[in-house]
Amino acid sequence: MSSNIYKNKKPVIFFLVPAFAFLAVFLYYPFLQNILNSFRVINNLGSSAKGWNDPWFANYVELFKDANIRTALVNTLKMIAATIVGQLGIAIVLALMVDNIKKGQKFFRTVYFFPIVIAATALGLLFNIVFLYDKGMLNQLREMFGAVKLVDFKDNAHAMLTMMIPVTWQYVGFYFIILITGLNNISDDLYEAATIDGASKWQRVRYISLPLLHNVICTCGVLAVTGALKVFDLPWIMFPKGMPSNSTWLTGTYMYYHAFESHNVDYSSAISVLIVVLGVVTAKIVNAVFKEKDY
Amino acid sequence: MKKMLAMLLTGAMVFSLAACGNSSSGNAPAQSGSSSEGSSSTESKPAEEPAGGPVTLNVTTTYAGEDTNAGNYQDAIAAWQEETGNKINDASASSAETFKARVISDFEMGSEPDVLFYFNGVDSNPFVEAGKVVSIDEIREVYPDYAMNMKDGMMGASPVDGKNYSVPVNGYWEGLFVNKSVCEAAGIEIPTADTTWEEFMEICQKVKDAGYTPIAASFAEIPHYWFEFCIYNYLTPATHNILPESVDDEHGKAWVDGISDMKVLYEKGFLPENTLSATDGETFQLFIDGKAAFLIDGSWKVGGIESSTDDIDNFTVTYVPGKNDRKSTDIIGGLSSGWYITRKAWDDPEKQKACVDFISYMTSDEMVSKFASVSATALKNGVQVDESQLSSLAVAGLDMVEGATGMAGAVQDQVTQEARVPVFNGMPDIVTGKADIATAVADLLALVEAGQ
Amino acid sequence: MAGTNYQEKQRNHKFSLGMAGIYAVLIAWALTTIYPLFWILMNSFKDKKVIRSDSFSLPLGELFTLDNYRTAFDRVNILGAYRNSLVISLSVAAAVILLSGLASYALVRYDFRVKGLLNSMVVAGMMFPAFATIIPVIRMMNVVGLANTNQIPKSLLAVILPQIAGNLSFAIVVLRGYIAGLPVELEEAAYMEGCNIFQLFFKVVMPLCKPSFATIGIFSFLWSYNDLFTQSFFLKTKPEYSVTVLLSLLTSQEGTNYGLMASSVSLIVFPLLIVYLFLQKYIVKGLTAGAVKG
Repeated sequence: MSSNIYKNKKPVIFFLVPAFAFLAVFLYYPFLQNILNSFRVINNLGSSAKGWNDPWFANYVELFKDANIRTALVNTLKMIAATIVGQLGIAIVLALMVDNIKKGQKFFRTVYFFPIVIAATALGLLFNIVFLYDKGMLNQLREMFGAVKLVDFKDNAHAMLTMMIPVTWQYVGFYFIILITGLNNISDDLYEAATIDGASKWQRVRYISLPLLHNVICTCGVLAVTGALKVFDLPWIMFPKGMPSNSTWLTGTYMYYHAFESHNVDYSSAISVLIVVLGVVTAKIVNAVFKEKDY
Repeated sequence: MKKMLAMLLTGAMVFSLAACGNSSSGNAPAQSGSSSEGSSSTESKPAEEPAGGPVTLNVTTTYAGEDTNAGNYQDAIAAWQEETGNKINDASASSAETFKARVISDFEMGSEPDVLFYFNGVDSNPFVEAGKVVSIDEIREVYPDYAMNMKDGMMGASPVDGKNYSVPVNGYWEGLFVNKSVCEAAGIEIPTADTTWEEFMEICQKVKDAGYTPIAASFAEIPHYWFEFCIYNYLTPATHNILPESVDDEHGKAWVDGISDMKVLYEKGFLPENTLSATDGETFQLFIDGKAAFLIDGSWKVGGIESSTDDIDNFTVTYVPGKNDRKSTDIIGGLSSGWYITRKAWDDPEKQKACVDFISYMTSDEMVSKFASVSATALKNGVQVDESQLSSLAVAGLDMVEGATGMAGAVQDQVTQEARVPVFNGMPDIVTGKADIATAVADLLALVEAGQ
Repeated sequence: MAGTNYQEKQRNHKFSLGMAGIYAVLIAWALTTIYPLFWILMNSFKDKKVIRSDSFSLPLGELFTLDNYRTAFDRVNILGAYRNSLVISLSVAAAVILLSGLASYALVRYDFRVKGLLNSMVVAGMMFPAFATIIPVIRMMNVVGLANTNQIPKSLLAVILPQIAGNLSFAIVVLRGYIAGLPVELEEAAYMEGCNIFQLFFKVVMPLCKPSFATIGIFSFLWSYNDLFTQSFFLKTKPEYSVTVLLSLLTSQEGTNYGLMASSVSLIVFPLLIVYLFLQKYIVKGLTAGAVKG
């Protein structure tokens, strides 16, 4: 920062210590334990280790050999793409639209929030009924329009799409709220000045809203990428155990599976380390991409 | 002593009134009250009577949520507290994976409850191995009549050392649930104790020809029940629970043959079209909605069916047709949970007697009868169930268990979740022919080996 | 408001076709978000038997029942559970706002050697799954005597502390982006007038951040409220239950009782929405107060 105020670095400690003390005690220290656990043999969550793996890095070797991990990584990449294009894209469009209307702002801000407050179990049930083979909402609709054959939305060909649509939909509201908070912070005077200078609505969005929203969009990008890496509840309810035929694993669901279903806690720990590493790396990439972009 | 009996009787009466409110069932607990005298009389024997004063017990059970017995349990602990003046801190929760993690970590950290109602299979290994629960034998050294109303051989010995640590209440069985209206529409007879596997295949073909799905099952998510019975078909109650040493030995062959039969079910189109992508909940709904005729599931599903349909009389349960040496009337069943006293509470002179007293109360003949209802028990005297209180489906279940000629536990309970992966998660590949059955079984056995 | 003129000018324009399109899109999306909630509410009044087979019709006539709610209120002290939930989630939200505000401010405005590392650690903190960190946390809580005490305040605190940490990372990431967008000139002006760094933070930066605080406060509140996992390890006995724990114990793992599930979700969500609608007034107020002019 250019400002002189921040040349004196001493107060930094005061600002940082409270938050990072919390993080250290309740997140970093436990996660260090988790890293250690990934080298041990642990069957049940909560039970003590039965010793060290042989060789101690066996789980990490397994990560490279495990075909499901590869599936999970590919699917998660798709999910990241879907979240950035879908969630963030839709959220930006909706936020800009809401920012430009006069009546009903409050209403939309409230209702777009709804999907986030509903527990994943309930949404999972709803979407399971929507996509049900014999015969959910979609297949009933198709029948009304003359389709004869039922579509299995959960088979290999459709599964990923069937999973991504609800997940994307669920979190649009989340980014919407963050973006609209940023938009509200842009002074009306700026728009006014631009209008007087004869800027069209689109130009105002292009040359005022988006550049000033730059930081917030970057934040959302980081959240979207990290969110996609760890998402598990809704996908797990709709497609438990990577169904069908291990084709829908995500890093998040696969980690959950090993922690709770297969009683392989140490391997689950190794996967969570992988997720954290990927998360930090992709977040850095997102930062770099968004930072350099000049509006 | 008299006072104790009177109190027990009162408790049983109060309990039965609260739960049933009908005179015919009022008799049953009153009669059986005397049979639980055996356990209640133990209380006066140990010399070190606590100095009096109420004791607070920390109790954790799985009697919560939609467990059929959650209500019974709440009534029972209320009655026990009323009677004894002791207090119970109840930390029960539904038996989800989170709950299991909580129980295990509590033991690890020394904050375990005093009394625990929990699984007696591999789930209990961590705290049994650590010596944190007290065996029945040890308890009987001080309280000789403890759990004497139970058959020792059926109490559910620990997989760790074969000793009994817990007193079971209600068990489970697995059977073939039938949607009667589908059978009627397809013009077939409901399978009976005499129906063979071959006949069952013909029945399924007829159901299919009539335009219905014969078997409601998700081979993608829960192939477990069909796995169990298909393998059972090549074994007997005496041999079913022995894990194969290798894929080539007698048991290994039985496993391969059994899984081959599952593949046949799939190839003949007896399963739902989307059995490889549907969840168990979806295929179960086919059965409820009258689109599928048969379903293999456990005794816990009786409640699930009762709460999913308006016409419970449309459903019944019967034996899974057998072949080879397995008679159709040989069933799968067992007692999978029981009451434990933890070492911590046992070593606490104030709590020891209260724990024994509490478990004796919860496992008396009439209480077990109440909790067990349609499921199996280890009671020497058998259950006393008032059938008029039960649905026709539950009565059918009861009849099935009574007519059983043999019972074996589920063999998959001896296989850890981790080791099950090649066969259970790999089932879609197996039935579609993408994976070799013998290889999958060999992989499973190798994982079992590696886990030991 | 400074924008009044601008808005009036806009109002004079004819209601354009473009505007109609915008509203059409917004309303279409709103329908997708309202319907599920409506669907859940509707099904909570239906018998569990018909939910899977007949879930899209209105609960009228014979379909209507209050059974699901009766079961939910049976035997349980739901008011006590709401109180526990509120105590937990409000504390978490307040602590997250304060701590993340302090940290983000320093991470944005100051340049120091380990800043890059700290930023990465914050991002990493968002990725730690709760089940990877819970066991050591339970151990610590046991050691300091907060867990397994059967005392409500201690048990609640045992939930609050890890939840604060769990929500901090996300809050810092959001606030960082927001503060970076604030013009540093305001702070310089205040500095010129003789504010010290702490006055600067509490009197200038904090008020400017109100809208963003509202956002992270709401999300922290929500996640803490819905976080069944952490809660189920520390809230074990009835008097300690939060709403989420209590209702999760009513619906089973088997998950066949969809009616109960629908009523549980309604009981969890609707009080929350009412609180949110009520608080929104203050949030909007915060927005106006915090708007940067210029």
